Amino acid sequence: MNVIDIRNVVKIYNDSEVRVIAINGVSLKVEEGEFMAIVGPSGSGKTTLLNLIGGLDKPTEGEIMIGGINICNLKGSKLIDFRLHNIGFVFQSYNLIPVLTARENVEFIMQMQKVPFKIREKRTIELLEAVGLGDRIDSRPSKLSGGQQQRVAVARALASKPKFILADEPTANLDSKSAENLLDIMLKLNQDENITFVFSTHDARVMKKARRVITIEDGKIINDEKRG
Amino acid sequence: MIWSIAWKNIWRNRVRSLVVIFAVMIGVFSGVFLVGFMTGWINQRIHDALHYEISHVQIHNPDYLLNEEMQFTITNYKKVEDFISATPGIQSFAPRVKVFGMAQSDWASSGLIIKGIDPERERTVTDIHKKIIAGEYFEDEKGLPAMILGSKAAEDLKLLNYEITEEKLGSFDVNLKKKLQSLSGKRYRTRKEFEIALKNVLGLEYNKKDMYNLINHFAFYRLRAKLTVTLQNSKGELVFETFRLKGIFDTSNDMFDGITAFVRAGELKKALNIKETDYHEIALLAKSRNDAVTVASILKEKLPEQNVMSWKEISPDLSYYNDFMKILDFIYVGIFLLALSFGIINTMLMAVLERVKEIGMLMAIGMNKVKVFIMIMFESVMLTFTGAFVGMLISGILIYHLGKTGINLSMWAQGLEAIGYASIIYPAISFDIYIGVTLLVIITGILSSIWPARKALQLNPVEALRTE
Repeated sequence: MNVIDIRNVVKIYNDSEVRVIAINGVSLKVEEGEFMAIVGPSGSGKTTLLNLIGGLDKPTEGEIMIGGINICNLKGSKLIDFRLHNIGFVFQSYNLIPVLTARENVEFIMQMQKVPFKIREKRTIELLEAVGLGDRIDSRPSKLSGGQQQRVAVARALASKPKFILADEPTANLDSKSAENLLDIMLKLNQDENITFVFSTHDARVMKKARRVITIEDGKIINDEKRG
Repeated sequence: MIWSIAWKNIWRNRVRSLVVIFAVMIGVFSGVFLVGFMTGWINQRIHDALHYEISHVQIHNPDYLLNEEMQFTITNYKKVEDFISATPGIQSFAPRVKVFGMAQSDWASSGLIIKGIDPERERTVTDIHKKIIAGEYFEDEKGLPAMILGSKAAEDLKLLNYEITEEKLGSFDVNLKKKLQSLSGKRYRTRKEFEIALKNVLGLEYNKKDMYNLINHFAFYRLRAKLTVTLQNSKGELVFETFRLKGIFDTSNDMFDGITAFVRAGELKKALNIKETDYHEIALLAKSRNDAVTVASILKEKLPEQNVMSWKEISPDLSYYNDFMKILDFIYVGIFLLALSFGIINTMLMAVLERVKEIGMLMAIGMNKVKVFIMIMFESVMLTFTGAFVGMLISGILIYHLGKTGINLSMWAQGLEAIGYASIIYPAISFDIYIGVTLLVIITGILSSIWPARKALQLNPVEALRTE
């Protein structure tokens, strides 16, 4: 079943003088349970594509279907609500709320979804244990390493039970050991719980672990490699 | 959760938030305390005016009010008295005979309003008996009829004298005693005269406050002095009645104390040659100040042949003070809060601009605009309210304490009393002012959050996430 279905998407940025075609006629289907990397040189359009899939930006042309809904037609609070319930985000620079503990950062998104307290509490602990932070649940981000913060971000992204997780260069700010560790956790979640991961990366280790690698250049998909 | 994040967000920059909280605290404290001070001052003026001078309601013969001519007494006094006694909401009332007279002491003369009263009934309506500063209130007088005179009138009649006696020099410093002894034996009839004499022996540079205390220390009233009052009786003839000065009252209102004297009604009536049941004025106290207008309107309806006025009609200036002060209270607090709101807007704008990336992330993961707005608004309200709460608490405690002990402005007593104000202020604040200030603070917090919150709402998540 396709979780994501991108149909002939074009994204053009019109500055006052320069017209930039960031995405040029991309079509792509992502099935449930995929562990997919989008790779390509800087400026190739990876982040733009992720932003479009995540509903953070709108395409100039084309359609983006998530779970059968064309998110290009959603606006304002409906779109925000759609993101809250369907898409998990992991950012390059973790972007945790610094004044909240790991537990509160994870719980926060479920509170926005109005998940009852007891369920929220249980799921928060389960998720933090799943990412190997069961012993750091009450630590604030400033007391955690980069790798640990990114694992909290993964737990947060999973908390809302999204259809898929979008991760924009999740290992870019991590040392090799932390990056390895994070990837193992993501891969395990993908294998054990069939969670769909779509991430952009430059990192060869990430590419190596991905089961599908999309190569993008000048806003076009130039290679789509599926691995056993 | 949002309020919890908002509260935690406030403490991201502890120093900055504390500065704002401190500023709000000082602003609210100043505003509330100033309101308390002014309210206490005005309340006291109203209280004094009602309890020493005009009471809650007054009844007169309508013709008496035109020229205050003596023959216009209250008609059917007995009937009026019976009706008042049967009217609910009235605490007490006292009838008075009221005439103008020229009083003459051995050294000066002065025009007075002489009120003939029944001392025991007058006690239930006015508190003059509590304001006796020399001598005593009416009680078992023998010989000449007694008069209780206002302190300023006594001064005008040169019945306030100054004399340095050995007895009063008692515990003074040897050097000062020596200088002052040179003035002993002489009686000064005016304050000015005594002050000049003191300055001559003590030097012009003598401390002003000490000089004030020194003058008061050697002052004394010529109690038991005879006062001859020239009056016009009911036949239009001039009559002379002699009274003995029995007591001096001081209500802290020079205007009232300068022209008022009390004598027994019976003695005044005899001199004026009017009947036992003739009175010019009935002063009433309602059970509370707020009931005065209602009581007056009941009496107006039932006593159409009399002129009935509530204190608001007798002294509209007092009533205006009251209303004007309430408006002024909110203007004061409003100005303080307006000034503070700029500080809060500045702080909140900085807080938003520092967190552009984070707010972008919150919007990206699914926090809608309403929640973002509420979060920023909570931060602003909490910041404002924390400072305001502390400010209100401190001002409340201080107002409560000073409301009991009073703020002593006796250094300026002469000036204040000349315009009818007491020199000891008892700050007071009503609960509705507290509620009003609390609401204003919350409104300030909300209004101050609008601009910063709008800034946050205008953020585009993609651009916000890109910022470093």
